[in-house]
Amino acid sequence: MKHFESLTGKQLSRRQLLAGSALVGGGLMAATLTGCGGAAQAAPVQDIDFWHLLSGGDGIKMQAMINAANQANPGFTVHPTVLAWGPPYYTKLAMASAGGRPPEVAIMHASRVPGYAPGGLIEPWDLDLLAENGVTAADFAPRIWEKSQQDGKVFSIALDSHPFIMFYNTDVAAKAGVLGSNGQLGEVSSPQEFKAMALEMQKVTKAHGLSFGYLGSGSQMWRLFYTLYKQHGADMELTPGQPMKVDRDAAVESLEFMASLFDDTIAAQAGDISTGIAEFARGSSGMLFSGVWELPTMKKAGIPVDAATIPTLYGTPASYADSHSFVLPRQLNHNEDKRRDVYKFVTDVLKGSLSWAEAGHIPGYQPVVQSQAYRDLTPQIHYANAADIIAYDPEAWFSGSGSDWQTYFAENVQNVLLGRDKAAAGWDAFEQRTNTLLSRPNPV
Amino acid sequence: MATATITRPAPQTTQARKSGFRQPRRKLTIGRIAAIVVAGFIAVLWLIPFAWATVTAFKSETDAAAPDVTWVPPSGFTPDAFVKVFQDGNIPLWTWNSLYTSAAITAITLVISALVAYALSRIDFKGKKVLMTVIIASIIIPPPVLIIPLFYQMLALNLVDTSWAIILPQVIHPAMVFVLKKFFDQIPRELEEAAVMDGASRLRIFTQIILPLSRPILAAVAIFVFIGAWNNFLWPFIATNDGGLLTLPVGLQTIKSAYGIQYAQNMASALLAALPLILVFLFFQRQIIKGVATTGLAGT
Amino acid sequence: MSTSTLSRPRPENLRTSLNRSNNNLSGWAFATPFLVFFLVFLVWPILYGFYMSLTGKSLTGANDSLIGFANYAEALADADMWHSLGNTLYFTVISTVPLVLVALVMAALLNVGLPAQWLWRLSYFAPYLLASTVVSLFFTWMYNPQLGLINEFLTGIGLPRVAWLNDPNVAMWAIVIATLWWTVGFNFLLYLAAMQNIPAQHYEAASLDGAGAWRQFFSITLPQLTPTTVMIVLLQILASLKIFDQVYQMTAGGPAGSTRPVVQYIFETGFTGYRLGYSAAISYIFFGLIVVVSVMQFVITRRRSA
Repeated sequence: MKHFESLTGKQLSRRQLLAGSALVGGGLMAATLTGCGGAAQAAPVQDIDFWHLLSGGDGIKMQAMINAANQANPGFTVHPTVLAWGPPYYTKLAMASAGGRPPEVAIMHASRVPGYAPGGLIEPWDLDLLAENGVTAADFAPRIWEKSQQDGKVFSIALDSHPFIMFYNTDVAAKAGVLGSNGQLGEVSSPQEFKAMALEMQKVTKAHGLSFGYLGSGSQMWRLFYTLYKQHGADMELTPGQPMKVDRDAAVESLEFMASLFDDTIAAQAGDISTGIAEFARGSSGMLFSGVWELPTMKKAGIPVDAATIPTLYGTPASYADSHSFVLPRQLNHNEDKRRDVYKFVTDVLKGSLSWAEAGHIPGYQPVVQSQAYRDLTPQIHYANAADIIAYDPEAWFSGSGSDWQTYFAENVQNVLLGRDKAAAGWDAFEQRTNTLLSRPNPV
Repeated sequence: MATATITRPAPQTTQARKSGFRQPRRKLTIGRIAAIVVAGFIAVLWLIPFAWATVTAFKSETDAAAPDVTWVPPSGFTPDAFVKVFQDGNIPLWTWNSLYTSAAITAITLVISALVAYALSRIDFKGKKVLMTVIIASIIIPPPVLIIPLFYQMLALNLVDTSWAIILPQVIHPAMVFVLKKFFDQIPRELEEAAVMDGASRLRIFTQIILPLSRPILAAVAIFVFIGAWNNFLWPFIATNDGGLLTLPVGLQTIKSAYGIQYAQNMASALLAALPLILVFLFFQRQIIKGVATTGLAGT
Repeated sequence: MSTSTLSRPRPENLRTSLNRSNNNLSGWAFATPFLVFFLVFLVWPILYGFYMSLTGKSLTGANDSLIGFANYAEALADADMWHSLGNTLYFTVISTVPLVLVALVMAALLNVGLPAQWLWRLSYFAPYLLASTVVSLFFTWMYNPQLGLINEFLTGIGLPRVAWLNDPNVAMWAIVIATLWWTVGFNFLLYLAAMQNIPAQHYEAASLDGAGAWRQFFSITLPQLTPTTVMIVLLQILASLKIFDQVYQMTAGGPAGSTRPVVQYIFETGFTGYRLGYSAAISYIFFGLIVVVSVMQFVITRRRSA
């Protein structure tokens, strides 16, 4: 009950709380905490809270970049908070921003910015202050820079683009005779050619030609679907108050092609993401459709792996992608010093994003992409062209990575992929679901 | 309806208090042996989750994630997971947050509920019936219905992501007001009369006569409110986002994402989070059980 | 429920020494601290929540205008709302039965007079002291399809593995099992207290008549427990209707929305989807359901005590 007084005063700092908790934790804790307490007295260091949703290998890389930035900048310490990918993260980020005491900086998928910027939940970046830190528009690929804007203001700074690509096993490909003279996969340009190539690989692996797990994951189904849809040269527009503008034939054809892959010969009929990854990683298939972020897993698996953008099967090169971007959640109380520290932190991370590229992502910051060190990274350099053909989600307040909209996609399309439903029926149901969303009042 | 809810447990528990928990002593019959076997079987089932969590927490991460499910890990038991969890420092921080918010909630609840319960029990004031009806009626408001307007209110008061946002909305327990009032009603009025003759104020009668006589019920209410606050998930989850303010139940929800799938560490964290109340329970078993039985039927 | 049954007539001298206006003043003075919190954090939100449900209020502050009952009309036509409400009711039905029956069995077993009462009470009641998150961590681990203890046991006795939390047909039952483990101890304690208050004479008379333990349980214990059972069932229904924590933590409402309760739908429409006004409307529809159950409770208990 004594501790109640601590409530009445100002907000406690993290360290005070930690120290206080030693009382609770008891002896075991005391040893660990004394180190902490000693450091606290040294100098006034700004605490920067930073939220992200990167776990696994990405999380470890991100932590390394944070540590590097903290070491290079004794004036501030960045404290990361990691929340679960998808709705839990975006829900809490919105609630914290609405509340006015959010983290100083956060990671957001570029595709989610349209759900946050118009409602004022995030603040625009100050281009002058960025320039002071040596980062300008010229440092980003045009598609990515364009995506960072809403109403002419820059709301997100892209750390990367992470397209949906194709990994392939060079051993399997060589034995199947589908490698080109340059040692990379030969070009295929139609659905039939692609299937033929996959069947050649299947003959080698005796299991499957292609791995793609999708069960229960709307995001995963959407990534492949949208890649194929955009390869038709088709557009998709979501305007609140109007029905969705979409090329239905292209959508249905894309779904039909996807469903035709899951015949238990070309690819397993039903499997979730991790099953697909595991299958490819143990050499039981020749190709894997996956996000670039699985590269570290594949390297660790010790299989001979290369990668490329997903072959252009319908005429127009396109690749579904998103960008992990830095955003500034809306603050109730601005602190000019912290603001400057945040800019320094973000620009430092951008400049050091070669290590982020090692995790598979294509850095957003062009000086890194153009560096020799990046050109030496394989297979990254083999899909670096994706940055020019990437397609982000159609913009709407409800679309984007890890959104409910992708869940609705799964609800309507999974049965198509499982062969239990017609592609047209699945698509029409999803389109209707989307139109319901569009007919509702826009809350941002 | 509330009278039924409220009055029902009171006579039962007064009897229970007199007789203590009755433990009939009878001979060992086949029936009783069968009862022991069945009760033992259920008890084992009920202890398995604890046991399995404990075994997992003392495994190395490799053993914990091994496809062969074993009670005794091949590479032996190790406290590594606990050490890692302590070094990380979140569990102590969250425990501290839970402790001071729950203590504050319990303290405020006790004070304001006892005061109003005294008024309802002893003072004949205008509007008392209306007040009582309104408080009774409010018992049926389920907290989940309030999350949207309460969050909006916290936004308006600028309290989101402060300890106050966790504490303030959790101090209203209309059912507890009635539990207290029922108890006060049973305290003989003669005890106060002498004090009244001496010209003692209401507040003095309340603090020096009523409260000391009400220790058991105050303890019961405190236990009930404290356990509820300590374990509450929904409201603290909504009211706070800042990693430095999370309470144990809310903080634990974040560990899966932060550490990836580290089964041993997950179980070590869960056990450490469970430990405080389990320890308290071991020491104050009788009071807690009595407290729950007394206040339980009054509803939550 | 009238107050007169609760307050006995007071001695004359108390009434005379403290006059009426003094009473009014001190009565309200004692009530004020509670009233302030009560009005600000309960009465105001419940009224304001209703007002919100008539607006297009958003988390971002957009669309603040009054739109009448449009939110209610939309909610009543919202298949997801009905689905989640259905899930909540389904959970309530399939959880209340075991939560009452198992509690009764536990209490009856102990009431036979087992040695080491504290040990049984500890084992059955201890889970109730855990936070929902701890329970969810425990059970998510036990339900793990490959590494979980439960599937290990099933395969051990030759049964197939079950995808507990990933199978839409099983997930809700998995939640019920975890909930049973977690909260049955509470009902158990209430039953035990009630059983131990049944006067011993009842049993003695029955023994003289030659009734065995089994018959005594059905002819004495159960009938004597009827009021307790009614209360426990009703309280359990009200508690089960509020289901959110375990589901959100273990399945996040999945797979394919098969476990998403209405409270989670309120949370999602309001905070994930920003639509505070709409989600306030769903809250009130849910509140209506709770009121109906509470009124049933009122009617049943009144009829009983009448």
